[in-house]
Amino acid sequence: MKKIWIGIDTGGTFTDLVLCELGSGQYICHKLPTTTGDPAKAVLDGIAEILDLAQLPRDQVAFLVLGTTLGTNAVLEGKCARTGMITTSGFGDILELARQRRPHNFNLDILKPVPPALRDCRMEVAGRIANDGTEVTPLAEADVRQAVQALRAKNVEAVAICMMHSYANPAHERRTAELVRELWPDAYMCASSEVLPEFREFERFATTVVNASLMPVMDRYLESFERGVADLGIRIAPRVMQSNGGAVTPSAVRRVPVNTFFSGPAGGVVGCMGLGAEVGIANQITFDMGGTSTDVCLIRDGEPAKKSLREMAGFPVRTRTIDIHTIGAGGGSIAWVDAGGLLKVGPMSAGAYPGPAAYGRGGTRPTVTDANVVLGRLNPRALLGGRMTMHADRAKEVIEDELMPRLRVDLVRAAAGVIEIINVNMMGAVRVISIEQGVDARDFTLVAFGGAGPLHAADIARNMGIRKVLVPPRPGLLSALGLLHADVRGDFSLTRLVRAVPQRIGALNAGFDELRQRGAGWLLGEAGKNARAKFTWLIDLRYFGQNAELSLDLKDGRLAARSLASLVERYHVRHLANYGYDMRSQPVEIVNLRLMVTVERPSPPPERRRFAPGTTRSAILEKRKVWFPETGFVVTPVYDRDLLPCDARITGPAIVEQMDTTTVVPPHARLHNDKLGYLHIAVKALRVKGWA
Amino acid sequence: MAAKGTPRKAVGGTRGARGVDPIQAEVMARYLLATSEEMAATLMRTAFSPNIKERGDCSTAIFDRHGEITALAHRIPMHLGSMVGAVAEILKRYGPGEIRPGDMFMANDPYNGGGTHLPDINLIAPVFADRKIVAFVANIAHHADVGGMVPGSEAAVCTSIFQEGIRIPPVRIMIEGEINRDVLDLVLLNSRTPEERIGDLQAQFAANVVGTRSVKALFKRYGVANTESTIAAYMNFTERRFAAAIKRLPPGVYVAEDCIDGDTEGTFAKIRVKLTVGNDKLEFDFTGTDKQIKSSRNIPSRAVLATIYTVAQSLLDPGVPANAGYYRTIEAKGPSGTVVDPVAPAAIGCRSVSCAVLGDVVAAALTQALPEKALAGSGPHHLFIFSGTDPRSGAYFVDYETMAGGMGARANRDGMDAVRVHASGASNLPIEALEHTYPLRIERYALWPDSAGGGKYRGGMGVVRDYRMLANDIVVSLSSERQHVAAAGIAGGNDGARGQFIFNPGQPDERRLPSAAADIALPRGSVLRICTPAGGGYGSAAERDAGAIERDIREKRTT
Repeated sequence: MKKIWIGIDTGGTFTDLVLCELGSGQYICHKLPTTTGDPAKAVLDGIAEILDLAQLPRDQVAFLVLGTTLGTNAVLEGKCARTGMITTSGFGDILELARQRRPHNFNLDILKPVPPALRDCRMEVAGRIANDGTEVTPLAEADVRQAVQALRAKNVEAVAICMMHSYANPAHERRTAELVRELWPDAYMCASSEVLPEFREFERFATTVVNASLMPVMDRYLESFERGVADLGIRIAPRVMQSNGGAVTPSAVRRVPVNTFFSGPAGGVVGCMGLGAEVGIANQITFDMGGTSTDVCLIRDGEPAKKSLREMAGFPVRTRTIDIHTIGAGGGSIAWVDAGGLLKVGPMSAGAYPGPAAYGRGGTRPTVTDANVVLGRLNPRALLGGRMTMHADRAKEVIEDELMPRLRVDLVRAAAGVIEIINVNMMGAVRVISIEQGVDARDFTLVAFGGAGPLHAADIARNMGIRKVLVPPRPGLLSALGLLHADVRGDFSLTRLVRAVPQRIGALNAGFDELRQRGAGWLLGEAGKNARAKFTWLIDLRYFGQNAELSLDLKDGRLAARSLASLVERYHVRHLANYGYDMRSQPVEIVNLRLMVTVERPSPPPERRRFAPGTTRSAILEKRKVWFPETGFVVTPVYDRDLLPCDARITGPAIVEQMDTTTVVPPHARLHNDKLGYLHIAVKALRVKGWA
Repeated sequence: MAAKGTPRKAVGGTRGARGVDPIQAEVMARYLLATSEEMAATLMRTAFSPNIKERGDCSTAIFDRHGEITALAHRIPMHLGSMVGAVAEILKRYGPGEIRPGDMFMANDPYNGGGTHLPDINLIAPVFADRKIVAFVANIAHHADVGGMVPGSEAAVCTSIFQEGIRIPPVRIMIEGEINRDVLDLVLLNSRTPEERIGDLQAQFAANVVGTRSVKALFKRYGVANTESTIAAYMNFTERRFAAAIKRLPPGVYVAEDCIDGDTEGTFAKIRVKLTVGNDKLEFDFTGTDKQIKSSRNIPSRAVLATIYTVAQSLLDPGVPANAGYYRTIEAKGPSGTVVDPVAPAAIGCRSVSCAVLGDVVAAALTQALPEKALAGSGPHHLFIFSGTDPRSGAYFVDYETMAGGMGARANRDGMDAVRVHASGASNLPIEALEHTYPLRIERYALWPDSAGGGKYRGGMGVVRDYRMLANDIVVSLSSERQHVAAAGIAGGNDGARGQFIFNPGQPDERRLPSAAADIALPRGSVLRICTPAGGGYGSAAERDAGAIERDIREKRTT
């Protein structure tokens, strides 16, 4: 029986791998530098190496999931393919007109992004569909033929077909696609009605063109990845993580590469869902704080918040993604004093190189990490289990030189100020995904991971009124572990802009049938003939005249007079609950129909944890002076996490160190090491309500 | 450097030399800004009309108890000035004992504590701690119709503010937590679309409730006296920051002028400014500006401030936080009764379009002090409102729309194509949404070739759009600037193309429509073409980079 699962998380600096052997519940981890020139290389080397480490036969691999940032990097670094566009006559400039806003109200140096299809590679063809799907002008096939010829001459690699109201009637786009296929069989191509059959032309066109421009890049990458995996003797088809938290086959990714934009951070969130099930915590705020950026996400009742619109390098990309909010701040963020005399932290970062001054690699600007060293929260001598020497004197010097004279405060206040302000920045990120969405953060558990998450989590929780913090056993590897928890999942949607009245039931059910067909076709490709899948139906509604929608679920993808009436009633009730009012005399309109197809996979077994035989006291490595706002510097015990016995209980102040992170337990908090090796921190929250 | 192991003792201990902790000040400032963002999120999430929800034509702010802005989450820069003075007007009218917890005030009249035109309705609520007022929270939202002679309540042809809609001085819309039905009903009756108004007002109430709760928590946590002094210090920090940016400019006097359109086609009103840079201050003196005109192009004083703040911030310090601290470094003066400080009942509804010209005047003055950041004249958006009966539903509709022009070139790069300029910042409505909602079909929507002002760096291109009428009784009202006076090129650059409204282009009955007009009938099947003005160029066209010329030709931006 096959029994090996492997998750691979490709980050900007490192590629992390986790291997799980199902039979024994044994986990093996591996880390190697990411190869930016040939991104598949580190992945394939990593697989070979971790299998050697495990000393298990390669044909035993039953599941292999890849989290990739290839698509994201290609867009951010402008390495997409040269792309052509075929569009409705009169609308060739939609991508540049965008929404007519300048990108920043005041900073005139931030420019509109250059679209992947330049103006001379955007071909207009006659033919027009109206908003109700009727044809106003027939498609001019001669124009299409000419457009294909012109685009070939311009050496584009990919073609995006984007026509007005194609969500209501895709006939022109489909015919155009046929002609392109016929005239230029080896061109990469996609049509907006396939990629995103939803209304709002700029967002649909932008998503489609960005998608087309990634198809060649992704195809080449997956080609070498798949070949390499096969060459290693692995007999199964690998999977790739998507932004929606589901894993799919490479061929699905080749068709819609924009679906992988948030593949990496999605792994972390899926990891949290997995650990939530393991530990029994359904409501979480995930808090992944690294060196340069921090990702936060809200998980309610075990399901992460989802979002349909994300920005990517200035372009709106509409795909179903886990709603992960990212801010450009982390342990490497630089602290500075502005012209008015106020202390600021970020958005500049010292990055991995030279990194914080305390790394001793020539960093000359004070960072959050330096402040943590000065305050004794981070080990002043060495990190990474002793592999990396720390230079506490350098950390102190840069704060003395850069911050003290400008702020006119002492060293400790300056360092504490840096921590206080980065924490406020982090709270801002948490607010966006909770309070600004109308969700009370205090009912949630803050799950801290990434290199710096557990350093700051307890303080942030306390200030936001959150009472529980959870630190998983391997905070640095959660994203890779999360990949092992991935289900196979596909999201499908289409726009049906009609009033929610019985006369429209036929049109709506035809829409559901279309989705059902698309879902079934996808399922066949992803999971074969007899796959057991769950079909989840959603419908977006709004009051006529409004411009934003609420999603409601439907039992099955079929409406009748009675279920429609109850749907409309549920809409009124939901609107009242969300917004404080309803408008029962206003007609209700249906906007989008959505389908989510999920093939559930069994969870990987919990890691069999071997606890050290000693006592809590014997896990103490040393005692050092650590600064807390309530106490000032106080002698604090430092524990080795690997030596903590099962069920250990510690009252703050305390520091827990491990290979990949440091956990701070402030004086107001208590820590418990549970049977699975999770650290539960109970925080005494501030009483003032609403600080968050 | 201090010896190792002995922390340097700061002057004044941990409180900093100025008696206030700069770290706590930053923490509180971030809290207040986060609160205003939370208010804005609530407002946009719960608003009803596309104008607020989709185009984000709304802003939220927090004031100290004296009425100075301490934090502002603005979605469009025009709102930078829209709430200045709003609280002072309430305090003038209501004695301290008269304002109670749970009250909310409403105002829209620019001459009486409102915003910068009547559709912008301000809603202001006091925040109480220890039984006294410690702060105010406020939000402003653009309502699509507040009555008046034209649907949408904005048209250049209005000649008095009484034609522009209902005028609301500061009145209590909420009394101790209960909606004041008397006022609400009065306002609703004065709108062509009352259902929408009630939905949007509800969202505005909700935003203030969220804000009040959050600001109160701050005062409770840090104590009233400490919070007040720290916030005051924070504004001083901001003032010093902007003063530092002003200090980098050479002191001196810089004069600039330009013209907005006058009351009739082909007449003009001059805006003239004398900028004095010195003593860490920018002083804008508008003496010499023409008298106020009948048409609604007049710019009320708060809109003047908003425009100056926007342009000064863009050119001097884009990252400065928006609060009264930096406002203190900027002064605007000049006689009243002019187009930049009209007195009641001057019409002001179209101030957003004329503000773009004002923005150019301010930029032209600052450019002289800051030539490396020079900004040429820009093409303002055009404003047009269709109304009629939708044959698909039989319902009356009002479609309020604006369409962007092009930005002026800068000293180091081309101007941006097709964007809002200066204090204007709302976005457009997607065509697919527009065609679904209104009986109009767009047949062309494109960058306008050859419109950009040439130069070493060219101006931003204007936009061209063709509307086909699909109903029998559609009328349009038109408002614009820069159809007569082009956006100026600088340093030898050419002017940008002027805007146009054209009826039935390419047909035998083609004709140019006036640059401002109300109620022009557009028969079913006819076409209205709108071309928006482009930005001016910078430097001589002869110096333009060969690659840039080649690209403009290849991409058919110039023909």
